[in-house]
Amino acid sequence: MVTAEKVNMNHSWQRGLPALLSASIAGILLTLPTLAQAEGDGVPLHGFADVGYTAHSKESTDPKGFNVGSLDFYLTPQFDSNVKGLIEIIFETTKGGEVATDLERMQIGYTFSDNATLWAGRFHTPYGYWNTGFHHGAQIQTAVLRPRFLDFEDKGGILPAHMVGFLGSGKVRAGIGKFTYDVFAGNGPKISMGQDPVNPAAAATPVPQSLGTLNINTAGDNNHQAMAGLNLGYEFSGRADGLRLSIHALRGDVDDDSDGTLFGTTLLNKTEVSMAGGSVVYQGNEWEVLGEYYRFNNKDKSGTSGSHSSWADYLQLGRTFKGRMTPFLRVEKTVLSQLDNYFSMQDNGQSYFRQVLGFKYDVNPKASLKFELMSSKFAAETGRTAYKYRSLLAQYAIRF
Amino acid sequence: MKSTFFRFFPAVLMALLLSQVAYAVDVVVISNSGTTISAADVKDVFLGEKQFAGGTKLIPVDNAASQANFLSKYMNMAGDKYNSMWTKKSFRDGLTPPAVKSGDAEVVDFVKRTPGAVGYVSSTPGGVNIVK
Repeated sequence: MVTAEKVNMNHSWQRGLPALLSASIAGILLTLPTLAQAEGDGVPLHGFADVGYTAHSKESTDPKGFNVGSLDFYLTPQFDSNVKGLIEIIFETTKGGEVATDLERMQIGYTFSDNATLWAGRFHTPYGYWNTGFHHGAQIQTAVLRPRFLDFEDKGGILPAHMVGFLGSGKVRAGIGKFTYDVFAGNGPKISMGQDPVNPAAAATPVPQSLGTLNINTAGDNNHQAMAGLNLGYEFSGRADGLRLSIHALRGDVDDDSDGTLFGTTLLNKTEVSMAGGSVVYQGNEWEVLGEYYRFNNKDKSGTSGSHSSWADYLQLGRTFKGRMTPFLRVEKTVLSQLDNYFSMQDNGQSYFRQVLGFKYDVNPKASLKFELMSSKFAAETGRTAYKYRSLLAQYAIRF
Repeated sequence: MKSTFFRFFPAVLMALLLSQVAYAVDVVVISNSGTTISAADVKDVFLGEKQFAGGTKLIPVDNAASQANFLSKYMNMAGDKYNSMWTKKSFRDGLTPPAVKSGDAEVVDFVKRTPGAVGYVSSTPGGVNIVK
Protein backbone atom coordinates (compact mmCIF):
# COMPACT_ATOMS: atom_id res chain seq x y z
CA MET A 1 0.00 0.00 0.00
CA VAL A 2 1.28 3.51 -0.81
CA THR A 3 -0.30 6.35 1.11
CA ALA A 4 -1.12 9.65 -0.51
CA GLU A 5 1.16 11.44 1.94
CA LYS A 6 4.15 9.53 0.69
CA VAL A 7 3.52 10.39 -2.91
CA ASN A 8 2.92 14.06 -2.19
CA MET A 9 6.09 14.83 -0.25
CA ASN A 10 7.34 18.29 -1.18
CA HIS A 11 10.55 19.06 0.69
CA SER A 12 13.82 18.14 -0.96
CA TRP A 13 15.10 16.13 2.00
CA GLN A 14 11.84 14.24 1.97
CA ARG A 15 12.18 13.54 -1.74
CA GLY A 16 15.52 11.85 -1.12
CA LEU A 17 14.32 9.95 1.92
CA PRO A 18 12.45 7.11 0.17
CA ALA A 19 15.49 6.28 -1.98
CA LEU A 20 17.79 6.34 1.06
CA LEU A 21 15.33 4.27 3.07
CA SER A 22 14.88 1.78 0.22
CA ALA A 23 18.62 1.33 -0.20
CA SER A 24 19.12 0.91 3.54
CA ILE A 25 16.33 -1.62 3.92
CA ALA A 26 17.48 -3.59 0.87
CA GLY A 27 21.01 -3.64 2.26
CA ILE A 28 19.85 -4.89 5.65
CA LEU A 29 17.58 -7.52 4.12
CA LEU A 30 20.25 -8.84 1.82
CA THR A 31 22.85 -8.92 4.61
CA LEU A 32 20.69 -10.54 7.31
CA PRO A 33 20.66 -14.11 5.97
CA THR A 34 24.43 -14.06 5.44
CA LEU A 35 25.07 -12.83 8.97
CA ALA A 36 22.65 -15.32 10.41
CA GLN A 37 24.15 -18.23 8.52
CA ALA A 38 27.61 -17.22 9.65
CA GLU A 39 26.38 -17.64 13.21
CA GLY A 40 24.82 -20.97 12.37
CA ASP A 41 21.28 -19.73 12.93
CA GLY A 42 19.71 -19.05 9.55
CA VAL A 43 16.91 -16.55 9.06
CA PRO A 44 15.55 -17.42 5.62
CA LEU A 45 14.73 -14.53 3.29
CA HIS A 46 11.67 -15.20 1.16
CA GLY A 47 9.96 -13.07 -1.42
CA PHE A 48 7.94 -12.47 -4.54
CA ALA A 49 8.49 -10.39 -7.65
CA ASP A 50 6.54 -9.77 -10.83
CA VAL A 51 6.71 -7.87 -14.09
CA GLY A 52 3.96 -7.45 -16.62
CA TYR A 53 2.27 -5.87 -19.59
CA THR A 54 -1.14 -4.20 -19.72
CA ALA A 55 -3.27 -2.94 -22.59
CA HIS A 56 -6.64 -1.24 -22.14
CA SER A 57 -9.31 -0.14 -24.55
CA LYS A 58 -9.34 3.63 -25.10
CA GLU A 59 -12.02 4.28 -22.45
CA SER A 60 -9.55 3.59 -19.64
CA THR A 61 -7.08 6.17 -18.37
CA ASP A 62 -5.05 3.61 -16.42
CA PRO A 63 -1.37 3.18 -17.40
CA LYS A 64 -0.65 0.91 -20.35
CA GLY A 65 2.42 -0.93 -21.56
CA PHE A 66 5.15 -2.77 -19.71
CA ASN A 67 5.34 -2.44 -15.96
CA VAL A 68 7.29 -3.54 -12.93
CA GLY A 69 4.81 -4.88 -10.41
CA SER A 70 6.30 -5.33 -6.99
CA LEU A 71 9.33 -6.75 -5.21
CA ASP A 72 8.37 -8.20 -1.86
CA PHE A 73 10.74 -9.51 0.84
CA TYR A 74 9.64 -11.23 4.01
CA LEU A 75 11.46 -12.74 6.98
CA THR A 76 10.14 -15.17 9.58
CA PRO A 77 12.63 -15.01 12.47
CA GLN A 78 12.09 -17.36 15.41
CA PHE A 79 13.55 -15.89 18.60
CA ASP A 80 12.87 -18.87 20.88
CA SER A 81 10.28 -21.63 21.18
CA ASN A 82 7.43 -19.17 21.59
CA VAL A 83 8.51 -15.75 20.31
CA LYS A 84 8.55 -15.11 16.58
CA GLY A 85 8.33 -12.30 14.07
CA LEU A 86 6.97 -11.67 10.59
CA ILE A 87 8.55 -8.76 8.74
CA GLU A 88 7.62 -7.84 5.18
CA ILE A 89 8.95 -4.98 3.07
CA ILE A 90 7.66 -4.14 -0.37
CA PHE A 91 8.97 -2.01 -3.22
CA GLU A 92 6.36 -1.14 -5.82
CA THR A 93 5.74 1.37 -8.54
CA THR A 94 2.94 3.91 -8.26
CA LYS A 95 0.71 5.00 -11.13
CA GLY A 96 2.95 8.05 -11.44
CA GLY A 97 6.02 5.86 -11.95
CA GLU A 98 7.73 6.47 -8.60
CA VAL A 99 9.15 3.56 -6.63
CA ALA A 100 7.54 3.46 -3.21
CA THR A 101 8.65 1.50 -0.17
CA ASP A 102 6.24 0.22 2.41
CA LEU A 103 6.59 -1.61 5.68
CA GLU A 104 3.92 -4.09 4.66
CA ARG A 105 3.91 -6.19 7.83
CA MET A 106 5.75 -5.80 11.09
CA GLN A 107 4.29 -8.18 13.64
CA ILE A 108 5.74 -9.82 16.68
CA GLY A 109 4.02 -12.91 18.01
CA TYR A 110 3.91 -15.24 20.97
CA THR A 111 2.79 -18.84 20.42
CA PHE A 112 1.10 -20.17 23.54
CA SER A 113 0.33 -23.63 22.15
CA ASP A 114 -0.62 -25.42 18.94
CA ASN A 115 -4.00 -23.70 19.27
CA ALA A 116 -3.16 -20.06 19.93
CA THR A 117 -0.75 -17.37 18.73
CA LEU A 118 -1.07 -13.71 19.68
CA TRP A 119 0.43 -11.10 17.35
CA ALA A 120 0.91 -7.36 17.79
CA GLY A 121 1.90 -4.85 15.12
CA ARG A 122 0.86 -4.28 11.55
CA PHE A 123 -0.72 -7.29 9.83
CA HIS A 124 -2.91 -8.29 6.90
CA THR A 125 -6.53 -7.92 7.99
CA PRO A 126 -7.92 -11.47 8.13
CA TYR A 127 -11.27 -11.24 6.34
CA GLY A 128 -12.24 -13.78 3.69
CA TYR A 129 -9.36 -15.75 2.21
CA TRP A 130 -7.61 -13.74 -0.50
CA ASN A 131 -6.29 -10.92 1.67
CA THR A 132 -4.25 -13.16 3.95
CA GLY A 133 -3.80 -16.16 1.65
CA PHE A 134 -2.22 -14.33 -1.30
CA HIS A 135 -1.85 -10.60 -0.62
CA HIS A 136 1.35 -9.49 -2.46
CA GLY A 137 2.21 -13.08 -3.41
CA ALA A 138 1.40 -12.79 -7.10
CA GLN A 139 3.07 -16.08 -7.96
CA ILE A 140 0.91 -18.12 -5.61
CA GLN A 141 -2.40 -16.70 -6.84
CA THR A 142 -3.88 -17.97 -10.09
CA ALA A 143 -4.98 -14.57 -11.42
CA VAL A 144 -2.90 -11.51 -12.30
CA LEU A 145 -5.02 -9.15 -10.22
CA ARG A 146 -6.90 -9.44 -6.96
CA PRO A 147 -10.64 -8.89 -7.13
CA ARG A 148 -10.85 -5.08 -7.41
CA PHE A 149 -12.88 -4.47 -4.28
CA LEU A 150 -10.34 -6.53 -2.28
CA ASP A 151 -7.35 -4.73 -3.75
CA PHE A 152 -4.97 -2.61 -1.68
CA GLU A 153 -6.33 0.60 -0.25
CA ASP A 154 -4.74 2.79 -2.94
CA LYS A 155 -5.50 0.43 -5.84
CA GLY A 156 -9.24 -0.08 -5.73
CA GLY A 157 -9.94 -1.67 -2.38
CA ILE A 158 -12.88 -0.64 -0.25
CA LEU A 159 -11.76 -2.42 2.92
CA PRO A 160 -8.68 -1.91 5.10
CA ALA A 161 -6.32 -4.59 3.76
CA HIS A 162 -3.91 -3.87 6.65
CA MET A 163 -4.41 -3.12 10.29
CA VAL A 164 -2.26 -1.98 13.20
CA GLY A 165 -3.26 -3.59 16.47
CA PHE A 166 -3.37 -7.15 17.76
CA LEU A 167 -4.37 -10.44 16.20
CA GLY A 168 -5.13 -13.76 17.87
CA SER A 169 -5.19 -16.81 15.64
CA GLY A 170 -5.08 -20.57 15.81
CA LYS A 171 -6.55 -23.92 14.89
CA VAL A 172 -8.27 -26.55 17.00
CA ARG A 173 -8.89 -30.09 15.82
CA ALA A 174 -12.64 -30.76 15.68
CA GLY A 175 -14.29 -33.80 14.11
CA ILE A 176 -12.84 -34.66 10.72
CA GLY A 177 -11.10 -31.33 10.34
CA LYS A 178 -9.95 -28.23 12.13
CA PHE A 179 -11.76 -25.20 13.46
CA THR A 180 -9.79 -22.03 12.65
CA TYR A 181 -10.10 -18.57 14.12
CA ASP A 182 -8.68 -15.08 13.72
CA VAL A 183 -9.79 -12.35 16.13
CA PHE A 184 -8.40 -8.86 15.77
CA ALA A 185 -8.72 -5.23 16.85
CA GLY A 186 -6.72 -2.18 15.94
CA ASN A 187 -6.69 1.41 14.78
CA GLY A 188 -9.81 2.17 12.78
CA PRO A 189 -8.91 3.56 9.33
CA LYS A 190 -9.83 7.03 8.07
CA ILE A 191 -10.56 8.25 4.57
CA SER A 192 -7.81 10.63 3.46
CA MET A 193 -9.16 12.92 0.79
CA GLY A 194 -7.00 13.53 -2.26
CA GLN A 195 -5.94 16.75 -3.99
CA ASP A 196 -7.62 17.76 -7.22
CA PRO A 197 -5.21 16.30 -9.76
CA VAL A 198 -6.32 18.59 -12.61
CA ASN A 199 -4.24 21.63 -11.76
CA PRO A 200 -3.50 21.88 -8.07
CA ALA A 201 -0.85 24.57 -8.44
CA ALA A 202 -3.22 27.01 -10.13
CA ALA A 203 -6.23 26.21 -8.04
CA ALA A 204 -7.78 28.64 -5.58
CA THR A 205 -6.93 28.39 -1.90
CA PRO A 206 -7.65 25.94 -0.44
CA VAL A 207 -6.77 23.43 -3.13
CA PRO A 208 -9.97 21.53 -3.99
CA GLN A 209 -10.12 18.01 -2.69
CA SER A 210 -10.81 14.90 -4.74
CA LEU A 211 -12.24 11.60 -3.59
CA GLY A 212 -10.14 9.83 -0.98
CA THR A 213 -8.64 6.46 -0.15
CA LEU A 214 -8.52 4.49 3.05
CA ASN A 215 -5.63 5.33 5.33
CA ILE A 216 -5.02 2.66 7.95
CA ASN A 217 -3.57 5.04 10.55
CA THR A 218 -0.27 3.25 11.09
CA ALA A 219 1.03 5.99 13.41
CA GLY A 220 -2.08 6.09 15.62
CA ASP A 221 -5.84 6.26 15.53
CA ASN A 222 -7.27 9.66 14.55
CA ASN A 223 -10.64 9.16 16.21
CA HIS A 224 -9.64 6.80 19.04
CA GLN A 225 -12.23 4.30 17.84
CA ALA A 226 -10.94 0.79 17.31
CA MET A 227 -11.97 -1.42 14.44
CA ALA A 228 -12.50 -5.05 15.41
CA GLY A 229 -13.40 -8.23 13.61
CA LEU A 230 -13.17 -11.98 13.36
CA ASN A 231 -12.87 -14.78 10.86
CA LEU A 232 -14.09 -18.23 11.92
CA GLY A 233 -13.58 -21.19 9.64
CA TYR A 234 -13.55 -24.93 9.30
CA GLU A 235 -10.91 -26.82 7.30
CA PHE A 236 -12.00 -30.25 6.15
CA SER A 237 -9.66 -33.20 5.79
CA GLY A 238 -9.94 -36.71 4.39
CA ARG A 239 -12.12 -36.92 1.29
CA ALA A 240 -12.91 -33.21 1.45
CA ASP A 241 -9.27 -32.19 2.00
CA GLY A 242 -8.70 -28.69 0.59
CA LEU A 243 -12.17 -27.38 1.43
CA ARG A 244 -12.47 -24.45 3.81
CA LEU A 245 -15.67 -22.64 4.84
CA SER A 246 -15.61 -19.48 6.89
CA ILE A 247 -17.57 -16.49 8.12
CA HIS A 248 -16.14 -13.05 8.79
CA ALA A 249 -17.21 -9.76 10.33
CA LEU A 250 -15.74 -6.29 10.84
CA ARG A 251 -16.96 -3.24 12.72
CA GLY A 252 -15.65 0.25 13.52
CA ASP A 253 -16.11 3.97 13.00
CA VAL A 254 -14.46 5.58 9.98
CA ASP A 255 -14.04 9.36 9.63
CA ASP A 256 -12.93 11.33 6.60
CA ASP A 257 -10.98 14.59 6.43
CA SER A 258 -13.14 16.36 3.85
CA ASP A 259 -12.87 20.17 4.05
CA GLY A 260 -15.94 21.16 2.08
CA THR A 261 -14.18 21.92 -1.20
CA LEU A 262 -15.47 18.75 -2.85
CA PHE A 263 -19.17 18.49 -2.02
CA GLY A 264 -19.69 21.86 -0.34
CA THR A 265 -20.23 20.64 3.19
CA THR A 266 -17.72 21.36 5.92
CA LEU A 267 -19.09 18.59 8.08
CA LEU A 268 -16.60 15.78 8.61
CA ASN A 269 -18.30 12.48 7.95
CA LYS A 270 -18.31 9.69 10.50
CA THR A 271 -19.65 6.28 9.48
CA GLU A 272 -20.11 3.20 11.58
CA VAL A 273 -18.97 0.45 9.22
CA SER A 274 -20.52 -2.98 9.84
CA MET A 275 -19.53 -5.78 7.50
CA ALA A 276 -20.38 -9.48 7.66
CA GLY A 277 -20.05 -12.28 5.14
CA GLY A 278 -18.46 -15.58 4.34
CA SER A 279 -16.12 -17.43 2.04
CA VAL A 280 -15.84 -20.81 0.34
CA VAL A 281 -12.43 -22.06 -0.74
CA TYR A 282 -11.54 -25.36 -2.35
CA GLN A 283 -7.95 -25.96 -3.43
CA GLY A 284 -7.52 -29.53 -4.60
CA ASN A 285 -4.93 -31.10 -6.88
CA GLU A 286 -6.92 -30.09 -9.97
CA TRP A 287 -9.77 -27.76 -9.07
CA GLU A 288 -9.65 -24.37 -7.44
CA VAL A 289 -12.82 -22.64 -6.27
CA LEU A 290 -12.66 -19.30 -4.49
CA GLY A 291 -15.72 -17.32 -3.44
CA GLU A 292 -16.18 -14.47 -0.97
CA TYR A 293 -19.22 -12.40 -0.01
CA TYR A 294 -19.32 -9.12 1.94
CA ARG A 295 -22.50 -7.44 3.18
CA PHE A 296 -22.36 -3.90 4.58
CA ASN A 297 -24.90 -2.21 6.79
CA ASN A 298 -23.25 1.13 7.48
CA LYS A 299 -24.72 3.84 9.71
CA ASP A 300 -24.27 7.58 9.21
CA LYS A 301 -23.19 8.89 12.64
CA SER A 302 -22.43 12.47 11.61
CA GLY A 303 -25.61 13.17 9.65
CA THR A 304 -29.18 12.02 9.52
CA SER A 305 -29.17 9.82 6.44
CA GLY A 306 -29.55 6.64 8.49
CA SER A 307 -28.25 3.20 7.58
CA HIS A 308 -27.36 1.97 4.10
CA SER A 309 -26.89 -1.54 2.71
CA SER A 310 -24.29 -2.52 0.16
CA TRP A 311 -22.63 -5.73 -0.93
CA ALA A 312 -19.67 -7.13 -2.83
CA ASP A 313 -18.70 -10.59 -3.97
CA TYR A 314 -16.61 -12.62 -6.39
CA LEU A 315 -16.41 -16.22 -7.57
CA GLN A 316 -13.37 -17.73 -9.27
CA LEU A 317 -13.13 -21.20 -10.81
CA GLY A 318 -10.00 -22.81 -12.18
CA ARG A 319 -8.80 -26.25 -13.22
CA THR A 320 -5.20 -27.41 -13.51
CA PHE A 321 -4.21 -29.71 -16.36
CA LYS A 322 -0.98 -31.74 -16.39
CA GLY A 323 0.06 -30.07 -13.15
CA ARG A 324 0.99 -26.72 -14.69
CA MET A 325 -1.71 -25.31 -17.00
CA THR A 326 -4.65 -23.60 -15.30
CA PRO A 327 -7.40 -21.85 -17.24
CA PHE A 328 -9.76 -19.93 -14.98
CA LEU A 329 -12.62 -17.47 -14.95
CA ARG A 330 -13.83 -15.00 -12.38
CA VAL A 331 -16.83 -12.73 -11.96
CA GLU A 332 -16.94 -9.98 -9.38
CA LYS A 333 -19.64 -7.48 -8.56
CA THR A 334 -20.27 -4.69 -6.09
CA VAL A 335 -23.45 -2.74 -5.36
CA LEU A 336 -22.32 0.15 -3.17
CA SER A 337 -24.79 2.75 -1.89
CA GLN A 338 -23.73 6.29 -2.79
CA LEU A 339 -25.88 7.57 0.08
CA ASP A 340 -23.32 5.91 2.33
CA ASN A 341 -20.46 8.36 3.04
CA TYR A 342 -18.05 5.46 3.49
CA PHE A 343 -18.39 4.62 -0.21
CA SER A 344 -19.32 8.00 -1.71
CA MET A 345 -16.16 9.64 -0.30
CA GLN A 346 -13.87 6.85 -1.53
CA ASP A 347 -12.37 7.04 -5.00
CA ASN A 348 -12.85 3.25 -5.17
CA GLY A 349 -16.45 3.36 -3.97
CA GLN A 350 -18.20 3.11 -7.33
CA SER A 351 -20.29 -0.01 -8.04
CA TYR A 352 -18.94 -2.22 -10.82
CA PHE A 353 -19.16 -5.56 -12.56
CA ARG A 354 -16.08 -7.35 -13.86
CA GLN A 355 -15.47 -10.56 -15.79
CA VAL A 356 -12.07 -12.17 -16.10
CA LEU A 357 -10.96 -15.04 -18.33
CA GLY A 358 -7.38 -16.13 -17.83
CA PHE A 359 -4.67 -18.73 -18.13
CA LYS A 360 -1.78 -19.51 -15.81
CA TYR A 361 1.20 -21.57 -16.92
CA ASP A 362 3.68 -22.72 -14.30
CA VAL A 363 7.09 -22.66 -15.96
CA ASN A 364 8.28 -24.40 -12.82
CA PRO A 365 6.91 -24.46 -9.25
CA LYS A 366 8.46 -21.06 -8.54
CA ALA A 367 7.79 -19.18 -11.79
CA SER A 368 4.46 -18.55 -13.52
CA LEU A 369 3.27 -16.88 -16.70
CA LYS A 370 -0.27 -15.52 -16.69
CA PHE A 371 -2.54 -14.00 -19.32
CA GLU A 372 -5.94 -12.41 -18.74
CA LEU A 373 -8.76 -10.82 -20.67
CA MET A 374 -10.82 -8.54 -18.46
CA SER A 375 -14.04 -6.64 -18.99
CA SER A 376 -14.99 -3.95 -16.46
CA LYS A 377 -18.21 -1.96 -16.29
CA PHE A 378 -18.77 0.82 -13.76
CA ALA A 379 -22.30 1.95 -12.89
CA ALA A 380 -23.87 5.39 -13.30
CA GLU A 381 -24.52 6.58 -9.76
CA THR A 382 -24.94 9.86 -7.92
CA GLY A 383 -21.70 11.78 -8.40
CA ARG A 384 -20.24 9.06 -10.63
CA THR A 385 -20.08 8.59 -14.38
CA ALA A 386 -20.72 5.24 -16.04
CA TYR A 387 -17.84 3.82 -18.06
CA LYS A 388 -16.53 0.50 -19.23
CA TYR A 389 -13.34 -0.83 -20.72
CA ARG A 390 -11.57 -4.01 -21.72
CA SER A 391 -8.06 -5.02 -20.75
CA LEU A 392 -5.39 -7.51 -21.72
CA LEU A 393 -2.92 -8.36 -18.98
CA ALA A 394 0.22 -10.47 -18.92
CA GLN A 395 2.38 -11.19 -15.90
CA TYR A 396 5.58 -13.10 -15.19
CA ALA A 397 5.77 -13.82 -11.47
CA ILE A 398 8.33 -15.61 -9.32
CA ARG A 399 8.79 -16.59 -5.72
CA PHE A 400 11.99 -17.33 -3.87
CA MET B 1 7.54 -76.24 -20.47
CA LYS B 2 11.22 -75.42 -20.29
CA SER B 3 10.88 -72.41 -22.62
CA THR B 4 7.94 -71.08 -20.55
CA PHE B 5 10.05 -71.30 -17.38
CA PHE B 6 12.90 -69.32 -18.95
CA ARG B 7 10.46 -66.74 -20.33
CA PHE B 8 8.98 -66.00 -16.88
CA PHE B 9 12.12 -66.45 -14.79
CA PRO B 10 13.63 -63.01 -15.53
CA ALA B 11 10.30 -61.32 -14.80
CA VAL B 12 9.95 -63.13 -11.46
CA LEU B 13 13.55 -62.32 -10.58
CA MET B 14 13.02 -58.65 -11.47
CA ALA B 15 9.88 -58.50 -9.34
CA LEU B 16 11.73 -59.98 -6.37
CA LEU B 17 14.60 -57.52 -6.79
CA LEU B 18 12.23 -54.57 -7.06
CA SER B 19 10.38 -55.63 -3.93
CA GLN B 20 13.74 -55.73 -2.10
CA VAL B 21 14.57 -52.24 -3.40
CA ALA B 22 11.18 -50.96 -2.25
CA TYR B 23 11.75 -52.45 1.18
CA ALA B 24 15.24 -50.93 1.31
CA VAL B 25 14.00 -47.35 0.69
CA ASP B 26 11.17 -47.53 3.23
CA VAL B 27 10.76 -44.53 5.51
CA VAL B 28 11.29 -44.54 9.26
CA VAL B 29 10.20 -41.46 11.20
CA ILE B 30 12.46 -40.66 14.14
CA SER B 31 12.48 -38.10 16.93
CA ASN B 32 14.96 -36.93 19.53
CA SER B 33 15.25 -39.36 22.46
CA GLY B 34 13.55 -36.82 24.75
CA THR B 35 10.64 -36.16 22.36
CA THR B 36 7.63 -38.42 21.96
CA ILE B 37 5.08 -38.08 19.17
CA SER B 38 2.72 -40.60 17.59
CA ALA B 39 2.46 -41.65 13.97
CA ALA B 40 -0.89 -39.83 13.81
CA ASP B 41 0.95 -36.57 14.62
CA VAL B 42 3.52 -36.85 11.84
CA LYS B 43 1.44 -35.12 9.15
CA ASP B 44 0.58 -32.19 11.43
CA VAL B 45 4.20 -31.83 12.53
CA PHE B 46 5.40 -31.54 8.93
CA LEU B 47 2.52 -29.18 8.08
CA GLY B 48 3.55 -26.87 10.92
CA GLU B 49 0.23 -27.40 12.69
CA LYS B 50 1.61 -29.33 15.63
CA GLN B 51 4.43 -27.22 17.02
CA PHE B 52 4.76 -28.55 20.57
CA ALA B 53 5.07 -31.95 22.27
CA GLY B 54 4.58 -31.41 25.97
CA GLY B 55 6.54 -28.23 26.57
CA THR B 56 9.09 -28.89 23.85
CA LYS B 57 9.09 -26.99 20.56
CA LEU B 58 9.11 -29.46 17.66
CA ILE B 59 11.69 -28.96 14.91
CA PRO B 60 10.91 -31.05 11.82
CA VAL B 61 13.68 -31.59 9.26
CA ASP B 62 13.33 -32.91 5.73
CA ASN B 63 15.64 -35.50 4.18
CA ALA B 64 16.32 -34.80 0.50
CA ALA B 65 17.22 -38.45 -0.19
CA SER B 66 13.95 -39.85 1.21
CA GLN B 67 11.55 -36.94 0.78
CA ALA B 68 9.52 -38.36 -2.11
CA ASN B 69 8.84 -41.60 -0.24
CA PHE B 70 8.00 -39.75 2.96
CA LEU B 71 5.60 -37.33 1.26
CA SER B 72 3.86 -40.19 -0.50
CA LYS B 73 3.53 -42.37 2.60
CA TYR B 74 2.74 -39.83 5.32
CA MET B 75 1.59 -36.64 3.63
CA ASN B 76 -0.22 -37.95 0.55
CA MET B 77 1.20 -35.20 -1.62
CA ALA B 78 3.93 -34.57 -4.17
CA GLY B 79 7.00 -32.44 -3.58
CA ASP B 80 5.72 -29.45 -5.56
CA LYS B 81 2.51 -29.28 -3.57
CA TYR B 82 4.38 -29.69 -0.29
CA ASN B 83 6.71 -26.79 -1.15
CA SER B 84 3.84 -24.64 -2.38
CA MET B 85 1.88 -25.37 0.78
CA TRP B 86 4.84 -24.28 2.91
CA THR B 87 5.26 -21.08 0.90
CA LYS B 88 1.63 -20.16 1.62
CA LYS B 89 1.90 -21.15 5.27
CA SER B 90 5.13 -19.28 5.80
CA PHE B 91 3.76 -16.17 4.08
CA ARG B 92 0.45 -16.20 5.94
CA ASP B 93 1.38 -17.47 9.40
CA GLY B 94 5.08 -16.62 9.70
CA LEU B 95 6.13 -20.25 10.09
CA THR B 96 9.56 -21.38 8.98
CA PRO B 97 9.64 -24.43 6.63
CA PRO B 98 11.62 -27.49 7.77
CA ALA B 99 15.33 -27.33 7.00
CA VAL B 100 16.39 -29.82 4.33
CA LYS B 101 19.21 -32.24 5.19
CA SER B 102 21.06 -34.09 2.45
CA GLY B 103 20.65 -37.65 3.68
CA ASP B 104 20.23 -40.12 6.55
CA ALA B 105 23.53 -39.37 8.28
CA GLU B 106 22.82 -35.64 8.54
CA VAL B 107 19.26 -36.23 9.72
CA VAL B 108 20.24 -38.76 12.39
CA ASP B 109 23.03 -36.50 13.64
CA PHE B 110 20.66 -33.49 13.86
CA VAL B 111 17.86 -35.42 15.55
CA LYS B 112 20.20 -36.96 18.11
CA ARG B 113 21.62 -33.63 19.29
CA THR B 114 18.51 -31.38 18.96
CA PRO B 115 15.70 -31.56 21.55
CA GLY B 116 12.33 -31.55 19.74
CA ALA B 117 13.80 -32.62 16.40
CA VAL B 118 11.74 -34.91 14.17
CA GLY B 119 13.03 -36.39 10.92
CA TYR B 120 12.82 -39.41 8.66
CA VAL B 121 15.41 -41.83 7.33
CA SER B 122 15.54 -44.93 5.14
CA SER B 123 16.63 -47.42 7.81
CA THR B 124 16.27 -47.74 11.57
CA PRO B 125 19.08 -45.98 13.47
CA GLY B 126 20.00 -46.24 17.15
CA GLY B 127 19.97 -43.51 19.79
CA VAL B 128 16.67 -41.93 18.72
CA ASN B 129 12.96 -42.60 19.23
CA ILE B 130 11.23 -44.51 16.46
CA VAL B 131 7.80 -43.04 15.77
CA LYS B 132 5.18 -45.79 15.53
